[in-house]
Amino acid sequence: MRKLLLPLALMVTVASAGEQFAMSDADRAMYKEMLENNPADIYVEEGGEILDEQLGGEEALAKFLGVTEKELPKYIAGFPRYIKKLGNVVGIDQVLQAMEVEQGKKKTKLKSGKMFSMLAYVKSLANDEKFTIDIKADEHIKASYELGKKTFMTARGGRGLSCNSCHSSDIVGQILRTQPLPDLGKVGAGATWPAYRMTKSSLRTLQRRFQGCMKNALLKVIPIGSKEMVGLEVYISTLAQKEKKAIAIPGLKR
Amino acid sequence: MKKSIKLLALSTVVILSTSVSLFAIDLTKAYDMPDASKMIEKDLLKEPTKFKLPKSCKLDDLDSIARGKFFFHNLNGKKAKGKAPKGVKKFIKKNGKKKPKQFGNCVACHNIEGAKGGGNIGPDLTNYKKLFVDTKTRDAQFVYQKIADARIDNPKTHMTINLTTKLFNKSEICDLTAYVMSTKK
Ligand code: HEC
Ligand code: HEC
Repeated sequence: MRKLLLPLALMVTVASAGEQFAMSDADRAMYKEMLENNPADIYVEEGGEILDEQLGGEEALAKFLGVTEKELPKYIAGFPRYIKKLGNVVGIDQVLQAMEVEQGKKKTKLKSGKMFSMLAYVKSLANDEKFTIDIKADEHIKASYELGKKTFMTARGGRGLSCNSCHSSDIVGQILRTQPLPDLGKVGAGATWPAYRMTKSSLRTLQRRFQGCMKNALLKVIPIGSKEMVGLEVYISTLAQKEKKAIAIPGLKR
Repeated sequence: MKKSIKLLALSTVVILSTSVSLFAIDLTKAYDMPDASKMIEKDLLKEPTKFKLPKSCKLDDLDSIARGKFFFHNLNGKKAKGKAPKGVKKFIKKNGKKKPKQFGNCVACHNIEGAKGGGNIGPDLTNYKKLFVDTKTRDAQFVYQKIADARIDNPKTHMTINLTTKLFNKSEICDLTAYVMSTKK
């Protein structure tokens, strides 16, 4: 069973100063209320039901991954990771696709609401765990981390920006058009997505969030599940790992 | 049962059971992993480029300053409120499709006269003429180069690259330069 989160564990710092910030007092009040009753809980629950009914639940998942059900939370906290029989460093969503195919079912699109729900549920199995990504475990994860870091640092697109242009340590906390730039490690981005995105009124995943930043900053939006996206997820997750952030799914974001 | 048949049956079982593990379906292609490397390749930023302030730049031209102001404060043609100044189109044709034109959104990082929700990633450009131009700390060539490609005087800049990326053309960079350097109310 998925561990339920204490709403307090979700208390992320919300800039408290006045009008200048994108979050108004009314927004903040709504945010507080949602912390106690995250609208995404229902999606996560639904994801659990789909996993149970269509793929055989946690038992089947554990078996597919070659671990016991008891080991599952810690193992999930190590994603993205190299899965030998899949031949790549993959995200949880790609594991679920492979399970579907192995069971003769149609694979669910990575960018679908159904997949976001299942992914959120499976990652929530690791709630309260710290990340266990070992980037030295094998050459594959090492390469994925390096690719992720490179992708993060690469300036491109219509404005010549990289992720690092806005998220480097010397610039976090500064204001980009009314929005304080978050330190992706300190806000535990890797540990708090999938999350309910208030401005989008829906459940979004980490890779979907990356796409949002790419679109806003005019970087060509790359597809979910690509090696570069998985690498970015590895990189961002290790930032949360360094800050010893516990996994807390679903998150709640502005 | 005859011995030979028994043997056949037995060996079939053996073959069948081994074949399950030997020919278990190949899962290395059972999930999506689309290619992004070519997309990124095409999207890469070109080398830092030096630009010379064009002779055609009319820094005192009020129309030019108005265009620069519009570019500075707006993200793109879809989001931009109000009428576009003379010589600016909110929407352009790209590959036969009507698309909003991208503007500078400089206000995301810079405060300046009349900024709404100005950011502080870049320096405050308020009173720029009096503080930096009149004191000869900065000149038009510096401002033009900074807006066109800021990497020339700061290889690690966090500023957007506006001419090397072809986001703007030379005359539009003139407009932005004119606006930043102008006296504002
Ligand atoms: C032009 C600036 C800019 C660029 C470039 C940019 N980001 Fe962001 N990013 C932001 C801002 C501003 C926010 C906070 C938005 C908010 O509060 O909703 C943010 C938020 C995020 C978050 C969510 C943090 C959280 O709260 O959990 C992630 C993850 C992220 N960015 C990753 C990336 C990645 C990966 C890239 C590169 C592909 C990137 N960003 C590029 C400005 C940028
Ligand atoms: C993502 C952040 C960002 C955006 C967007 C941005 N700038 Fe900047 N700008 C900076 C930073 C940071 C500097 C500091 C110097 C450097 O790093 O090159 C700067 C420096 C400048 C300077 C030099 C100030 C001086 O005298 O030293 C000018 C002029 C300027 N920007 C104009 C613009 C214009 C015009 C635009 C829009 C087309 C723009 N900026 C968009 C971040 C930004």
